[in-house]
Amino acid sequence: MIEVSNLEKTYNDDGNETAALQDISFKIEKGEFVSIIGPSGSGKSTLLHILSFLDRPTAGRYAFFGKSIDDMTDIELARVRNKEMGFVFQSFNLLSRISVYENVEIPLIYSDIAISQRKKMVEDAVRSVGLEEKLYTEAGKLSGGQKQRVAIARALVNNPNVIFADEPTGNLDSKSGAQVMDILDNLNDKGHTIILVTHETYTAEFANRIIRLKDGLVESDAPVGKVRRSKGEFFK
Amino acid sequence: MKIKDSLKSAVGIFQHGKLRSALTMLGIVIGIASVIILMSIGQSAQDYILNQVQSVGSNLVFIIPGGSTNGRLSSPAASQGIVITSLRQQDIDALKREPSIDAAVPQVRGQADVVYGDNDVRVTYEGATADFFSVLNYKTQKGYPFVKDDVDSSNHVAVIGSALAETLFGQNINPINKSIRLGNSTFRIVGVLEKKGTGAFGIDQDNLVLIPITVAQGEMLGINYFQSIVIQANAAYDVNFVKSRITSVMRQNHGITDPNKDDFTIETQEDILAVLGSITSVMTLFLAAIASISLVVGGIGIMNIMLVSVVERTREIGLRKAVGATENDILQQFLVESVTLTFLGGVIGVAFGALIVGAAYLILTNFISGWSFELPLSAVFLAVLVSTITGMVFGIYPARQAARKNPIEALRYE
Repeated sequence: MIEVSNLEKTYNDDGNETAALQDISFKIEKGEFVSIIGPSGSGKSTLLHILSFLDRPTAGRYAFFGKSIDDMTDIELARVRNKEMGFVFQSFNLLSRISVYENVEIPLIYSDIAISQRKKMVEDAVRSVGLEEKLYTEAGKLSGGQKQRVAIARALVNNPNVIFADEPTGNLDSKSGAQVMDILDNLNDKGHTIILVTHETYTAEFANRIIRLKDGLVESDAPVGKVRRSKGEFFK
Repeated sequence: MKIKDSLKSAVGIFQHGKLRSALTMLGIVIGIASVIILMSIGQSAQDYILNQVQSVGSNLVFIIPGGSTNGRLSSPAASQGIVITSLRQQDIDALKREPSIDAAVPQVRGQADVVYGDNDVRVTYEGATADFFSVLNYKTQKGYPFVKDDVDSSNHVAVIGSALAETLFGQNINPINKSIRLGNSTFRIVGVLEKKGTGAFGIDQDNLVLIPITVAQGEMLGINYFQSIVIQANAAYDVNFVKSRITSVMRQNHGITDPNKDDFTIETQEDILAVLGSITSVMTLFLAAIASISLVVGGIGIMNIMLVSVVERTREIGLRKAVGATENDILQQFLVESVTLTFLGGVIGVAFGALIVGAAYLILTNFISGWSFELPLSAVFLAVLVSTITGMVFGIYPARQAARKNPIEALRYE
């Protein structure tokens, strides 16, 4: 599904070139749960931005479902993001002035899905994160854990192939974090590809594969060898 | 993104910040209300003036002493205070012989104090012939107009305006057959005019005193010429033909061979209507143009608030782009917000302006009879259209700023 080879990203700041990513190559198959980990400045966020079409690489090749992003216009990239990708952010990025329903509906208003079909899709997504009783509550009035569950509902409302989660538990207490990881785990079980960026090893180990970055290079790319962590272990 | 979604989002934004939206709209509301008020009152004033000119009578042609440089009410000598004595009785006699002319009414006027008992009022008096009343559409509500014999015999009779009658006699005394002093002469009142309001030429017809022209010329003014002549054209003839006939009669009478040396100016009602109409139109447009400056100020206010809104909603823009919004989607959303804001401002401005115009109508009708309530539909459409365009013009820059935001930087914005 995702194939990157010799990917590079260089930032040019007043003539000073900084290599954020160098010679990154890997494949991610549909249905995988992959964690990208590494210390601050290792390039994991940059890699996530490129994988999720929010940024373009300086060099190298990135193919999504076999199609190179070099051949896609910005509008096409936006369309693919809308149809195939879901996003969960560390800071939730909910619009606090509007309801849970309206927040979850946002990706659908940029799709060609008819307005009449949206209601059921939003209700299904909110139900899947267990917040159906909060459907018409203003998002700003929810707790942190509830906000992140709404963000997950928003990420999966368009039934995407891949969900990108950028430090999804970073702003949550351990109980809420466990619930969020549990939901992501279940979504993976239902066939969604999950790509998780985190600096927490124990969160990363919910995945079945960990790509470890250091100084913009892939330090290691290996499956999680043993039994995946359970929710109970998250609390430890 | 569908327009319906953009509208829903815009309404949500306004509901969330009602006071801010209301204050942002205020500039547009004031601008549009000003335009509506000025255009409506301008239209009412225009209609009022035109009605006054038409109410003077029908098929009228006016002869004013003195030539004009281009024949279009430019600056006849008489209107500049220069006394010209060229209009005489022989002109009236010759004009009356023309088959295309029904009546030729000479006019003189002056100012004097009118006294009855303790009441003393400065008024304009007008010397009139018997047919003055029918030609210029003056009707009496009490008594009768004076007749040809009164004019020929220089009888001291007078017909007075309704407001003057009330000033001099109050409501309980019947002015008919009462004697008043006008200047140094005494006149018996034979009639009181119907209420008519200020005339097209600025004379308050309700405070007028009409006396036989022979008395006005001989005793009051000591002149033997006329200050103007009003012609009633025969309705069977084209008024321009009548105008050319009058010109020819007057030139023959005055021995004029060079058309550039005419010692008179001829104006038809249409000429006067056209000039007055164009003056009031220009004034209305001029005032509306001034009022539209406030629209520009309102538009700048909209742009300012939209720019602030773009900054405040940077993360929202980043999120929307991340989940699939294109630059055009974001541009559309912010443009719809600014246009909705100015459109609503326009609608409220029209309603507010209409209220003011209505209130002005209620007040002005007490002072000016014949004042009408005018809210031209074209002004309403124009106002709403202009307010919408204002939203587009002043909303496009902030919308482009929003659309061009880098999603990664926008999502990181604190």
